[in-house]
Amino acid sequence: MRTQFQRIKRMTLFMRLNHWVVFFSMIAAVITGLYIGHPYYQTLISEPTAHKFVMAWNRAIHFYAAIIFDVSSVVIAYLYFFSRFDKPIKKLIPTKKNLVEFWEVFFNLVTLNRVKRFDSSHEDSFHVVYFTIFHLLLAWMLLTGLQLYVLGLESGMSSIGKWWPALLHAVTDWTIPVCGGTKMDVRYVHHMTMYFILTWIMFHIYYIVWRTIFWREGDIAIVFGGYKFKRTKGNNA
Amino acid sequence: MNREHLRSLFTAKSARVDTNKGEAYYKNLYERCRARLDELKKITPLRNIDIAQVLEDEGISRRDFLKWASATTAMLMLPASFTPLVAEAAELMNRVPVIWIELQDCAGNSEAFIRADGPKVDEIILEIISLEFHETLMAPAGHQAEAQLEDAVNNFKGKYLLFVEGAIPVGRGREWCTIGASGETFEEHLKKLANDAAAIVAVGTCATFGGVPAAAPNPTGAVGVMDVVNNKPIINIPACPANPANIVGVILHYVLTGQIPELDSLLRPKFAFGYRIHDNCERRAHFDAGEFVEEWGDEGAQNNFCLYKMGCKGPMTFNNCSIVRYNESVNWPIGAGHGCIGCSEPGFWDKYAYERPMADANIKMAPNGGVEKSVDQFGLGLLTAAGVGIAIHAVASAVAGKKSEGEEA
Repeated sequence: MRTQFQRIKRMTLFMRLNHWVVFFSMIAAVITGLYIGHPYYQTLISEPTAHKFVMAWNRAIHFYAAIIFDVSSVVIAYLYFFSRFDKPIKKLIPTKKNLVEFWEVFFNLVTLNRVKRFDSSHEDSFHVVYFTIFHLLLAWMLLTGLQLYVLGLESGMSSIGKWWPALLHAVTDWTIPVCGGTKMDVRYVHHMTMYFILTWIMFHIYYIVWRTIFWREGDIAIVFGGYKFKRTKGNNA
Repeated sequence: MNREHLRSLFTAKSARVDTNKGEAYYKNLYERCRARLDELKKITPLRNIDIAQVLEDEGISRRDFLKWASATTAMLMLPASFTPLVAEAAELMNRVPVIWIELQDCAGNSEAFIRADGPKVDEIILEIISLEFHETLMAPAGHQAEAQLEDAVNNFKGKYLLFVEGAIPVGRGREWCTIGASGETFEEHLKKLANDAAAIVAVGTCATFGGVPAAAPNPTGAVGVMDVVNNKPIINIPACPANPANIVGVILHYVLTGQIPELDSLLRPKFAFGYRIHDNCERRAHFDAGEFVEEWGDEGAQNNFCLYKMGCKGPMTFNNCSIVRYNESVNWPIGAGHGCIGCSEPGFWDKYAYERPMADANIKMAPNGGVEKSVDQFGLGLLTAAGVGIAIHAVASAVAGKKSEGEEA
């Protein structure tokens, strides 16, 4: 009795590239963001002040990472609805089928894989909800981050025109009252949201590794090769 | 959350400053100001003081005065052609009655306003305004003082500018603070005087946002003027103390145009609060270079490095002190070697006045500020909790082994 596996495509090349772009942007944003919040190393470059842009480079990298991150998230948000490969929105709508699947996958996790009553070969509701939380956290980072950024554009001008700060004010000014009423609160919340995202990532990595070990379907390979494997024979044969 | 509240959330006026509104706008404004000043000239001065005489007595030449006038014109964001009008408005300031009241305050703004030592043009100009009532400065006391206030209100009904210094207790502490023999609370006192005012100028952070009296746990329930009065135009001039240059600017603007200056969403005049301290800071180069003062008196401090790591709040604070400074541009806090403490922002004192970078800031975990944890401590706690949860699950999974339902061992 040999176990046979079927190869199942789970991520397109674009999705995988996007994952790793986000991976590196996030590392860059966290490292530079922690420096911006509290410069944790000293600038020991014996150059005149005007020549060493240590904070300036940290901020530049932070902003570039954030913009790449944000654009990628916008694309992902589009793919949620219009992907030709797999529309995650289908798994997000709280239909009875999705709700049942969500709880089944959750039970599978808390029963340490003792109960597994769902088709694990495709993206499940639990995972889609989990990723949606991630994208909401990112959107929140985008809004609070751009609010902090526009504070420096008080002249109303920017290198790409007046529309840019005007747009940022229109889109992000409401985060001040929502965060607690002051610009300082926006900063706290932006910083704190990073920890929620890091917590998210800890579980994300753990969960994928756990799935790989306990489901034995090669889940961790999805993000590298795009495929995982589904047992077609063996268990009950 | 009602509709009005939602609308205000999404239409908050930005701090954007429009420094050039076009020729047509300024031509029109010039004519209006001209007409306004001619109108004021016809009124008999409330105080028979000649500014030329006062300035001469203080040893300030006409030339110095005009230099001040052109600087003030620039501060008010008006074209240079307005300089003669501004000078004229300064001369006519004794025609606008001012009533100044003090509530929960330390009189620090009054102190800044009179600037007893070596008065400069700003302070002298403030001396010649027609100050009809000011508890700290006037000679009468008790019933005589109250009678004078009543006289002033009756004589200038609807015409006086009401300057308010200090926060208003509206919580449990409202009864602790009363004024006069009738025992009216600060709130009643303010509302009564506000009713007959042309406009209200809240001077200092206590009067604008509650300031120090409103700091946790805010025993008196202190709030700012704009939280109590809603039937009059209000101009907020926060900072601790408010910069006399900005007080003069607001009065001058009123004398000149008969209107209150353009305000931001926190009712602060944009000419003064449209710029961020950080962007006009003389130590900004050190910020960008990553050169920070690490502790008081270290090598960095001696070399005027950036004070960000000592808790400077310049990046979140909108005020013109990095441009105008204090005491006739002699110096300002960052110039003197201490970071900005964000004294002109709402939420000062609790959210700004600490000597740590904001990542180390203590946030209030309990509503009343009982337990404090910094964001980083909180974040590390969160990560630890997640790590512990994951470890428990991982160990449990490993112990349970790789069995799944219906699978052979």
